[in-house]
Amino acid sequence: MATATASVEATTARPIALAKPEGQWTIVLRRFRRHRLAIISLMFIIVVFIASLITPLIAPFPRDAVNPVMRFSPPMTTDTETGKLHVLGTDHVGRDTFTRLLYAARITLSVAIIVATLSTFIGMAVGALAGYYRGVIDGILMRILEFMSAIPTFPILLILASVLNQDPKLLPFPDFLVNFVSAIMLIDPQKESRSVLVVIFVITLFGWTGAARLMRGMVLSVRERDFIESARSLGANNLRIITRHVVPNAFPPLIVAYTLALADGLTAEVALSFLGLGITDPTPTWGNMLNFSTQFMLTHPWAPLIPGIPVVLCSLAFNFIGDGLRDALDPRLKM
Amino acid sequence: MTTYLIRRLFVIVVMAFIIAFASFILLSIAPGGPLQEIAARQSTTQRNDLDLIERTMKRYDLDIFLIPRFLRWLTGHPRGPIEIGGQQFFADLQVGCLKEGRARLVYPDGRVVEVNCEKPVFLRDLAGRPVSDGIVRLDFGKSTQILREQPVMRLFESRIVNTLLLMGISTFLSIMIAIPLGIISAVKQYSRFDYTVTTLAFIGSGMPTLFMGIMGILIFAVLFKEAGLPYLPAGTAESPRDAVIPLFGTIKAGSFVDRLWHLVLPVTILTIFNLAQWSRFIRSSMLEVLRQDYVRTARAKGLIERVVIVKHAMRNALIPFVTLLAGVLPALFGGAIITESVFNYPGMGRLFVASLIAGDYNVAIGFILISTFLVLIGYLLSDVLYTVVDPRIRLS
Repeated sequence: MATATASVEATTARPIALAKPEGQWTIVLRRFRRHRLAIISLMFIIVVFIASLITPLIAPFPRDAVNPVMRFSPPMTTDTETGKLHVLGTDHVGRDTFTRLLYAARITLSVAIIVATLSTFIGMAVGALAGYYRGVIDGILMRILEFMSAIPTFPILLILASVLNQDPKLLPFPDFLVNFVSAIMLIDPQKESRSVLVVIFVITLFGWTGAARLMRGMVLSVRERDFIESARSLGANNLRIITRHVVPNAFPPLIVAYTLALADGLTAEVALSFLGLGITDPTPTWGNMLNFSTQFMLTHPWAPLIPGIPVVLCSLAFNFIGDGLRDALDPRLKM
Repeated sequence: MTTYLIRRLFVIVVMAFIIAFASFILLSIAPGGPLQEIAARQSTTQRNDLDLIERTMKRYDLDIFLIPRFLRWLTGHPRGPIEIGGQQFFADLQVGCLKEGRARLVYPDGRVVEVNCEKPVFLRDLAGRPVSDGIVRLDFGKSTQILREQPVMRLFESRIVNTLLLMGISTFLSIMIAIPLGIISAVKQYSRFDYTVTTLAFIGSGMPTLFMGIMGILIFAVLFKEAGLPYLPAGTAESPRDAVIPLFGTIKAGSFVDRLWHLVLPVTILTIFNLAQWSRFIRSSMLEVLRQDYVRTARAKGLIERVVIVKHAMRNALIPFVTLLAGVLPALFGGAIITESVFNYPGMGRLFVASLIAGDYNVAIGFILISTFLVLIGYLLSDVLYTVVDPRIRLS
């Protein structure tokens, strides 16, 4: 009897399992895996990310340890004091470049991730509200977007960063933010957190408009569709319609935009710190390491490549991943 | 058309005004003002010179309220009571406060007013006080750090030609190269040429200009020089002394060739940056046009392919590009800032960065105002151009 029921269950279960359609994300994953460059890029980013996570474990020297007799030593030289190996040599004051590169990876990548996440979320919220409710909110948003696209944002971003960095009283950050960034970036909360927060603040301030414009457009096209109408007729309120029906449908392009925002956040931080207006020494970032190594470029021409190559590879990798995701998420594309 | 232009001009004036006001606020809260300088000096000498503070406040208009101070900064007015037909108006209007505190004002007509100000400033006090010509007449005040007491405009005059040269040449080259690249790439879609162009454009737009500049210096300035090949200078706009270039000859310091020689690397980097984005844009716009019915019609009536491409497709494909051109102006300013800094090129962008590092905010704000204004003009021009190139569009 028991065996009979089991066999019946098995036979009824099988056709259902066969008929089960492939989920949307399975298809996306399968398509994404065909994009070879995107997969390589993703693996590269994961390696860099893990390296930056376990930085304190693998960094051979303390972050700011100075050995004054070993300035500009070439890669693979032995330290005169500790006898340890400077894998990538030392910088202009005799600090281990490899150690600083790892700590810098942690700070630069964290800044990029925080900036991209914040600006995408703010943009999503603002764009969804404006696109869904239209009217006055939409009018105000559109004026702001128009205004921000018509002004040279990069110089304004630079001047804001400069003013806010020089006078801490102008924009005090709450303690929990200060402690948060110092905890995830392994930096001193009193001395170093501020410039990091300023950089995050100014880049986000000008960075959310792209996501907002995208979200607004998506919502405007989605909100007229029949399934929104039926959700409303079933008694769903606005909040539910926006979060359960509108946002998920606008999601695919936003994921792509998020990946590209990571690349933009990374280059923005690098540019700010390179110009000396972002995160400053002794806090290491790829940007200010580039700044110092280019100053001594005529005598030590290879030095800028050490922080420069990770910047380029990460920036390109984010772009390739975005490209791969775009192809994978577009259902009109037959692969 | 005229109404449209007037409305656009109005919008531009409003936007310029908002930017000017925001800049002024930034300028007034920016650290390192004259009062802070005095305070820093006094804390070291232990002297409390109230007279000096008041004189400084008067000199920099710091005793005047925000709005009249902004108006004086923007336009150079008010310069005292308004005189109409020999009679003065608003002479007793309080426009500022030199020293805070409580005071009783007794007016000549017998009124007594209690104010929260010990030494109020009236409009009549402003008569004869030195004032700038105002931002509207391109008087951005004086530089405080970079060249002390020199007008900001004089600093700009020495730099603006360099920047315009850099941006002008690279924009021209980018347009001249991007259009054929994008068109050919679209006409021969999925050919080897197309794949090469799109891949290079993708990498070019993903790579930071900063790094391209550094690589340029490394390869063409450092390695070429070491290898004894004709090399390019690593930075600045002119050589300090004559340079001998292998296989080429001598370049005289400060000559025309010398300046061109210095422009090669920065112009190339900016051009690559623009090319990467513009050629992709033109390619997709051309692909769109090639699918249109009128292109098929042109082919059907037996026109040769070259005429179809050049006369029917290309002209229409370039229409959206015209608006793109105005939209890239802000990005161009940003790109110029980084490129000039990498190459140590004496243009406006590097002056701007130097002024920010030195805390010379009059210079920095001047740069922001000039670039904003140029960008706004660019937008207006592109709107007008749009109607010229596309007669279907009627601005209203």
